[in-house]
Amino acid sequence: MIQIMTSFLGSLGFAVLFNVRGRYLLEAAFGGMLGWLCYSLLSGRLHNEYLAFLVAAMLVTGYAELMARVEKAPATTFLIAGMIPLVPGKGLYYTMRYAIGAESAGFVSQGTQTLAVAIAIAGGVMAASSIFRVIVSLQMTAKN
Amino acid sequence: MNQKMLAQLLDIGERMLISGAEVNRVEETISRMAKAYGVRRVDVFTITSSIVVTVSTDEGNILSQTRRILAYETNLDKLRQLNQLARTIVGTSPDEEYIEKELSVIQETVPYASWIKLLIYALIAGSFCVFFGGTLEDGLAAAVVGIALKLSISFFGRVERNTVIVHVLSPFLIGSLAIGLTRLGFGDQIEMILIGNIMLLIPGLSLTNSIRDIISGDTMAGILRMSEAVLVSLSIAIGFGLSTLMWGGW
Repeated sequence: MIQIMTSFLGSLGFAVLFNVRGRYLLEAAFGGMLGWLCYSLLSGRLHNEYLAFLVAAMLVTGYAELMARVEKAPATTFLIAGMIPLVPGKGLYYTMRYAIGAESAGFVSQGTQTLAVAIAIAGGVMAASSIFRVIVSLQMTAKN
Repeated sequence: MNQKMLAQLLDIGERMLISGAEVNRVEETISRMAKAYGVRRVDVFTITSSIVVTVSTDEGNILSQTRRILAYETNLDKLRQLNQLARTIVGTSPDEEYIEKELSVIQETVPYASWIKLLIYALIAGSFCVFFGGTLEDGLAAAVVGIALKLSISFFGRVERNTVIVHVLSPFLIGSLAIGLTRLGFGDQIEMILIGNIMLLIPGLSLTNSIRDIISGDTMAGILRMSEAVLVSLSIAIGFGLSTLMWGGW
């Protein structure tokens, strides 16, 4: 519960730093909360951390693309702040610590894990936005 | 289409890139806008630090211009306005004066006041400290350190333009501050306090975006962005490392 609240606040903070304005702020922060909620619901059940990150990133992207259509603003407005709670900041921190402590085994395993999470998130974003693009172009051809 | 007009279209593209647009969005927007003015062919090449455009007009002229992008300043509200302007241009192909007027209006949008940003740094650092498992007291300590972080970033950013140096000095300073605070008994999980603040420093987003660029085919832009992210992470690690060495461990 506390994580859901803080993920909202953290995303809200980043939305302000990226100069999102007005009601978009709350909508962007809600995206961040949504992504984290999805990840935390899935991570226990899927037995695959990376898949949970991928699905959560897909959900956030879908939300951002949808909001972009509704609000007539670029999807980035909602996407960047929404992805923040998923971003592997903690992983990068521990990778750094192992590097400083000269623990090469920990560094390698934590580093690969962090990179894999980044790839999973990026893959989720790409997958969802590609699906969205296909749907939009299908709609266009249907109209014509 | 003439040189002046091309310069204006490039202005729009440049500002979009600076404000946080993806590389392929910039390329697509510039070529669409140019085509709205009936040119025969447009070639746009964008990487994170440069834009190159060449257009062949109907009269048979070939125009070419380049921009070098030195610094970024993510501003999604500006990006939204630029995007709207680009759409208008594609739809109605307005004249030069109109574009100039609109651009100067967009340029005047001010970012949030610096005291708000200061509070937001505190909010983010505190939130993520608790998010990753810190107690409320740790969160408060992280918020204090977050304010110090913002102050040190803007100070070092003013005296030194090299991002590597800024990203070594700021973590060193806030690492020392966090160590000092916990030794005084304010907050006890120093890791969580630091992680909360690292979320503000670390280029996790650039790392993710760089992979996005690579997957979507902008390999050059992606690799550049990724090297930047790795470089910044390394500098942060060095900064924190120095602070622990100096004060004898976390």
